[in-house]
Amino acid sequence: MSWETDRLEKAKQIIEMYPQKRSALGPLLYLAQDKDGYISNESIVEISGLIGITEVQVQSVASFYSMYKQEPTGKYLLSVCKSISCEISNSTDVINSVKNFTGLSNNETDDKNFFTYESVECIGACGGAPAIQVNYETIEGLTPDKAVDLCKWLKEEEPEIVVADELQDKFGGVKSFDWAIADNNGATSPVPGFQTYDTSKEKK
Amino acid sequence: MNEKVTFTVDGKQLEGKQGQLLIEACEDSGIHIPRFCWHKRLDPVGMCRMCLVEIDTPRGKTLVPSCTTQVSEELSVETESDTVKKAQEGVLEFLLINHPLDCPICDKAGECPLQDQTMAYGPGESRFIEEKRHFEKPIPISDIVLLDRERCILCARCTRFSDEISGDPLIEFIQRGNKTQVNTFPDEPFKSYFSGNTVQICPVGALTATSYRFKARPWDLKKVSSTCNCCSLGCSVELNVSQNKMLRILGEDNEFTNQGWLSDKGRYNFEYLHSENRLLNIQSRENEDFQTINISDAIEKIKNKIKDLDNPDIKFIVGANSTNEEYFAINKFANSLNRNEFLSKDKSNVYFADDHIYNGYFSDEYTNATFEDLDTSDAIVVWAEDIKDNLPVLFLRIKKAVKNGVKLVVFGHTNTALESLADHYFGAEIVSNNFELKTSLSNIQELKDIIDSKKVTTIVGKSTPLQKKDSLDTLINHLQKVSDLKIFNCFSRANTFGAIQHIDQIKGLNDFCTEYEDSNKNIVFTIGANPVNSSFFGSKIKDILEDTEYVVSLDIFKNETTELADLILPTTAFGEKEGTITNMEMRVMKQNKILPDPGSTLSEWEYLIMIAQSLGKDINYDSVNQLNSELANQFTMTEALPTFDNLNKPSNLFGILNQKEINLNIKDVDQDSPSLLMVKRLYGDSSTQINSPSISMLGSERFIELSESTLDKYGIKSNVATLTQGSSSIFVNIKLNNLLPDNLVLAPINRRGFEKLDSTKDFDLKETKNMKDLSVN
Amino acid sequence: MKETLLLTKHMRENPEDSHSLKSYEKNGGYKSAKKVLKSGTPEEVLQEIKDSNIRGRGGAGFPTGVKWGFLAEDEERYLVINGDESEPGTFKDRILLERDPHQLIEGMIITCFAANISKAFIYIRGEYAKPARRVQSAIEQAYEKGYLGKKIFGSSMNLDIVVHLGAGAYICGEETALLNSLEGRRGEPRLKPPFFPAVKGLYNKPTLVNNVETISSVPWIMSNSGKDYSSLGVEGSTGTRIFSLSGHINNPGNYEIEMGSSFGEFVDTLGKGVKNKAIKAYIPGGASAPWLRGDQLDVKMTIDDVANEGSMLGSGAVVMMDEDTNLVLAAKSLVSFFAHESCGQCTPCREGTTWLENILERVASGRGRLSDIDLLLDVCDNISPGLTWPPKMTTICPLGPSATASIVSLMKDFRSEVEVLLPKKVVIG
Repeated sequence: MSWETDRLEKAKQIIEMYPQKRSALGPLLYLAQDKDGYISNESIVEISGLIGITEVQVQSVASFYSMYKQEPTGKYLLSVCKSISCEISNSTDVINSVKNFTGLSNNETDDKNFFTYESVECIGACGGAPAIQVNYETIEGLTPDKAVDLCKWLKEEEPEIVVADELQDKFGGVKSFDWAIADNNGATSPVPGFQTYDTSKEKK
Repeated sequence: MNEKVTFTVDGKQLEGKQGQLLIEACEDSGIHIPRFCWHKRLDPVGMCRMCLVEIDTPRGKTLVPSCTTQVSEELSVETESDTVKKAQEGVLEFLLINHPLDCPICDKAGECPLQDQTMAYGPGESRFIEEKRHFEKPIPISDIVLLDRERCILCARCTRFSDEISGDPLIEFIQRGNKTQVNTFPDEPFKSYFSGNTVQICPVGALTATSYRFKARPWDLKKVSSTCNCCSLGCSVELNVSQNKMLRILGEDNEFTNQGWLSDKGRYNFEYLHSENRLLNIQSRENEDFQTINISDAIEKIKNKIKDLDNPDIKFIVGANSTNEEYFAINKFANSLNRNEFLSKDKSNVYFADDHIYNGYFSDEYTNATFEDLDTSDAIVVWAEDIKDNLPVLFLRIKKAVKNGVKLVVFGHTNTALESLADHYFGAEIVSNNFELKTSLSNIQELKDIIDSKKVTTIVGKSTPLQKKDSLDTLINHLQKVSDLKIFNCFSRANTFGAIQHIDQIKGLNDFCTEYEDSNKNIVFTIGANPVNSSFFGSKIKDILEDTEYVVSLDIFKNETTELADLILPTTAFGEKEGTITNMEMRVMKQNKILPDPGSTLSEWEYLIMIAQSLGKDINYDSVNQLNSELANQFTMTEALPTFDNLNKPSNLFGILNQKEINLNIKDVDQDSPSLLMVKRLYGDSSTQINSPSISMLGSERFIELSESTLDKYGIKSNVATLTQGSSSIFVNIKLNNLLPDNLVLAPINRRGFEKLDSTKDFDLKETKNMKDLSVN
Repeated sequence: MKETLLLTKHMRENPEDSHSLKSYEKNGGYKSAKKVLKSGTPEEVLQEIKDSNIRGRGGAGFPTGVKWGFLAEDEERYLVINGDESEPGTFKDRILLERDPHQLIEGMIITCFAANISKAFIYIRGEYAKPARRVQSAIEQAYEKGYLGKKIFGSSMNLDIVVHLGAGAYICGEETALLNSLEGRRGEPRLKPPFFPAVKGLYNKPTLVNNVETISSVPWIMSNSGKDYSSLGVEGSTGTRIFSLSGHINNPGNYEIEMGSSFGEFVDTLGKGVKNKAIKAYIPGGASAPWLRGDQLDVKMTIDDVANEGSMLGSGAVVMMDEDTNLVLAAKSLVSFFAHESCGQCTPCREGTTWLENILERVASGRGRLSDIDLLLDVCDNISPGLTWPPKMTTICPLGPSATASIVSLMKDFRSEVEVLLPKKVVIG
C-alpha cells in the first residue's frame, strides 16, 4: 500500500463513475502522475490491485500513451508542437530556441527536475501556430524570442498554477479563435488540469 | 449452426461449415494460406496481415485477412492472384526489415515459419538500408523462458495465450508503434505453469527455453509421439531425441485431451532421464552398504528369501508411473504368489501409493465423462484436490469451457485457483474445515439454478487424503438425482486409472499400514513408488519397512524408500519403454520407446516375470506386445481393443476409449479436523524433478497459504514466519489467500522440510525477524 | 461569401460567458431538449435526423441518421462523444467544447432520448485540459438544475455523463480504438466485423459513437427541423460545418459556413488570402487528406466534390502552403506524425510508416538514392494497394493508408522538388 488515504479515496470515487473498473485505469494513472510527478512502479502495483489486472497490463496501457510519463518529470512540462501547420509556420525555430535555452533534447528533464522538454504532435492550436503547452495549458502564436521569454518567466516566477490565459496575454500572439472571457483556472502539475481528477486549481 | 456452405477458392469448389474461418476451411481442404498470428486454438486477431486473400465483394475485389473472415455461401476467394502475392511479399519485407539475421545462432532455424514463408512467399531481397531497431538480447523473463525482442514479430501469440488460455497475463505489449515490444513487469517474471507453451507457439526464435537453447537442430532430431505421464489427463506429446538423449518435449494437438497445450512440468520434466544419479545397476544391501550384483544373483536372492521365509505375505506398493502392461504383469505376479491357491478378494496384496485414492464412483449406475463433456455440459461441478496444481491442463480445459458459457461451481477449500472462473465458489459458509457439508445441498439456491435438470459434468475426488468420503457421496447422490450427470473420478496421478483397471483389487496405503500389523514374515515390493517421502503415512511406512524382512525396490532413482530396501532393481523410465496408459476419461493411450535402456535397467515387467519363472510359476511373456494383447482382450468393447496395432493406426493416434471393470476396496479414513492441510504442488521434490536441472529450482520455495484473519491470530505482521511442530522448524514465506476459512493453513507436502510434518498434530507459527531464526535443514 | 452561424452563433454573440448555463438558457438553450422530452418520441427525433441528411463531422462522413438506425437493441446501451480531435490542422471541436459545452450536452440529451440510453461518455483528448474543464463545469451546472441525472426535466428519462480524458494518442480518434481506450486498454482499433460499435461497442454493448460537432448540431435540427437543416448547404453535404483554416494564411481560425462554395472563395473572403504569395498546395481535410494543388482552388467544399478530386473533406481542416514551402519537409512532418501515432498492431503500418519516415529523412537531408522515389511509392503501395482513391488497405484501420497520402501527392504533383535532392544521374561516355 503506497498511496495515501485521500488519494485512495479519490481513486475509489473515480472507479465508481464507470460501469467497469478497468475503465478507471486512465484517470488513476493521472492521479499517480499528479502526486509523484511520474508513474512509479509502486503506483502501478497499487493501481493493479485497485482494478484487478496484472501489473504488466497496467504498464502496457501506461506506456502506450504519450502523456503518461514513467520517468520523473519536471515541474513544468514544455510541449512544442511539430505537426504540419506549426511545421510550415516555423515551429522548428521555436523548438530550437527552447531547446537551447533549457539545454534539453526531446523527452529530457534537467537535473533540478524543473523543466521537461518534448516535441509533440498536433495540440489543436493550428490557427495560432507555432504553439506551445506548459503543463497542457496552451499558448499560441509564439515567436522564438517570446518562447524564451516564457521559459525565463517560468524560471523566475515559479508559479504554482499555470494559467493559459495569463501566459497568452504575456507571451502569445495570434490565437486560433477568440478565447473570449479570461479564465483563471490552470494546472498544478504536468498532468492535464482537470477538476474531476483534482489536478486543476484557480489562480485568485 | 453446422450447415454446410460451398465456396470457391482459386476456381475450386470447396465445402465448409457455416461460420468457420476461411483460413481454417481452406486448411481442411488442403489449401495452405501463410500466416503468423493465427493459431487454431486462439481467437483470431488479424494482426500480422500475412493471410490476406482477395475476395469478391459488391464493391469489387478486396484484400481481407482470411483468419478473420468467415466462409459464407458463394464466397469467391483468390489466394494466388498478383495482388495477393504482392501483399504477401510486402508483409514479409516489412517483417524482415527489423528482424535480425540470427538464423545461424537461433534455435528456431529449420522449423521456423518465418524462414519457411520467406522462402515460399517472400520477395527474395530486402530494400531496407536503414538501421534496424536494437534491444538487449536475450533477457530472461522467467527461470525457464528467455525473450529476444529483436526477433519478435509482434504476432501477439504469446500475450494472447497468456491472457485467453492460461489466465495469467504476465507478458504484454509495452509502448506503441514501431517501438512496441513484449515484456514483463520488473520483479514480476513470467511465472506461469504454462509458459512453455508460448515457446512452442512462437513463430520465430523470440521465445526460447533454457533447457533446449543451442542443444540441437531440428533436422538432427529423432521424433516419436507419446503420452505424457505427469498426470492423468493424458496429454499427447512429441518426444525429440538426438544422440540418444531426450532434448525436448512438444505438445501435440489432441482434440480429445490437451488440444496442443502442456504444463511446464510435463514439458520440461525429462532431463532426469540422463542424470548421473540414475540407478543403472542392481544394488544389494550387504551389511550397511549397497553392492552391485548381476540379475541372476538378484533373482536367486529373492527366490531364496521367499523359500527361507516359508510362505511369507508378499505385499506390493505400486506407484502411478507404470504402464498398463506393467500393472498387468504385477497383477499376474501378485496373483501367482498368493498364499491361498485360489484368489479371494480379501487376500489381495497390492497397495497404491497415492493417498487420494478411495473407492470412487465406477459402478454401472454412473456414467463416465470425457473432456468433450466439459464443453457440451450446462455446468461443471468441482469438488476435488487442487486442479491447477495437479491436473494443470484440465484447468485450461475448464477455463475454455467457462469462456464458452458453461457454468462452474466449485466447492472449497483446495480449489481457490478456480474461484475467479467460477460462477459460484462455496467456501467456509458451505464446507467445514473438515470438508463436511454444513448445509443440505438442496438448500443452496444458486446451486439449484445452475444444475437442476441440466447436463452436469462433475470432477469429484477427495480434496485431501484425510477427508472422509461421506460428503462426496452426498454430492454425487444429489447430483445424480437432480441432474443429467457425468462423472470424472479425480485421481490425478499419471496412470492411476491403468492401475485400478489392471490390478484385480487395489488398496490404499492406509490399508497397507493396518494390514501389516496382522501379518508376519513379510516381503514388500515397492514399484515406482516413494511413499516414505510422499505419503501422509510416510513415517509409519518407514517404520514398517525397517521392520520388514526383505524389501525389494524397483525404481529409477535412489530415494527415501529405496534407502530402506534390501535390493534395488533399476528400471526403465518414460521414453525408454513401449506401453499404454489409461487417462481419467478411460482413454487408453500409447507411449512409445525412443531411448535405449540405460545401463543394466530392465522394465518392471521383465524383472517380475523372471522372478515368477524362477519360482516355478507358469507365467510366460517374452515381449510387452504379448502383455498388451492379453490385457487388451479384457476390455469390454471388442471392436475397439487397445492393442498396439490398433493404437498405431492413424485414426487412433490419440487414444481409444474403452471400458473395463474396476474393483476398489479401500477403507475410508476416519480423521478429525486438520488444522494443517498438506497439499501437493505442481513443482516439488520428487526425484525426477530434482534431477532435472532446468526446473529443479521451481519446487524449492517453502511457503504456506492462509487467510489474513488466520494470520492475525498468530500475531504475524510480516510476510515470513517460522512453522514449528515438535522438533521440526521450517522458515516459510506467507502467501495470503482470503478464500481459505479461518484456522486452515495449507502447506505443500512435496517440498523439502515439510515431509516431517503431521497434519493431525498441532503446530505453531512464529513471527520471524532476523536471520537467527532461520532453520537450517 | 458569408458565414452561416448555427453552432457558433451563441458563442459569437455572447463572448463574455457563452459557456455558462445562465447565458445558454437566456439565449434559448435547452428549449429544444425540453420540448423533445415533453412531447416528442424517439422515432420522431430519428426521423428529423434522417431528414437532415447530416453526415458525421469527425472525418468519415457517414450519414448520422443511418448510423443511429443501426444501433442494436439491448438493456445496456451507451453514447460516446468522440472529442479526441487530433487530426493535424483541426481545432473546431476545441471551440465547441471550450465556448459552448451546453450545446453539446443538450444534443446528448436529445440523442440519448432518441436511442434510449442512460449513460454517456465524453472522451476528450488529454491535451484539451481547458475545454475539458469547461465541459465538466457545464455538466455540474446541468446536474444542479436537474438537466442531468434522474428524471430530467421532470420526465422519466435518466442520463449520466462522464468526462473521460485521453492521454495523447491520435489513434484513439478511431471509434473502436476510442472504445478500447475508454475500457482502460491500449488504444488499438478492433476488427470490424464483428466489433461494429452499433452492435458490439463499449463493454461489448451497442454503442453510438459520434463526433462533438455532429451532436452539437442536434439541438438546432430539433428546434427547427431536419428539412430546414437539409436546405442549407448542398445535396450530399447538407447543413453547416466549422472549417479550421491554418497554415500560410492571413486570417487563420474557425469558420462556420454552408458547404458548397469553393476553397478559393473561402480562403480569399474569410481567410483574407495568403500573405502576398501564391498558393503552391493545400490540404483540404486534415493530415490524412491527399494534397490539392494551388491551381485547384476552384474545388467545392463538399464531401463528394473533394472525393471526386482524389482527396477528402475529412475533418474540415484546411491547411494552406505557399510557394516557399519546403514540401519535402512538410511531407516528412506528416509521415513522421503517422509513424509516431501508429498503434503497432498490424505489420504494414507498424513497420512501413517508420520506414517511410526514415527514407524521407535521408532524402530531405541529402542522403537519398535515385531508387528512393520508386521505393517510397512501392512501400506506400504495400500499405495501400494500388494507391487508389478511396484507398484500399492491407492494414486493420485507415491510419496506414493515411500516411501514404502526402507522399503520393508529393510524387504526383511535386516530384521535381524531390528529384532536386537526389544525386544526379551520371551518364558515362
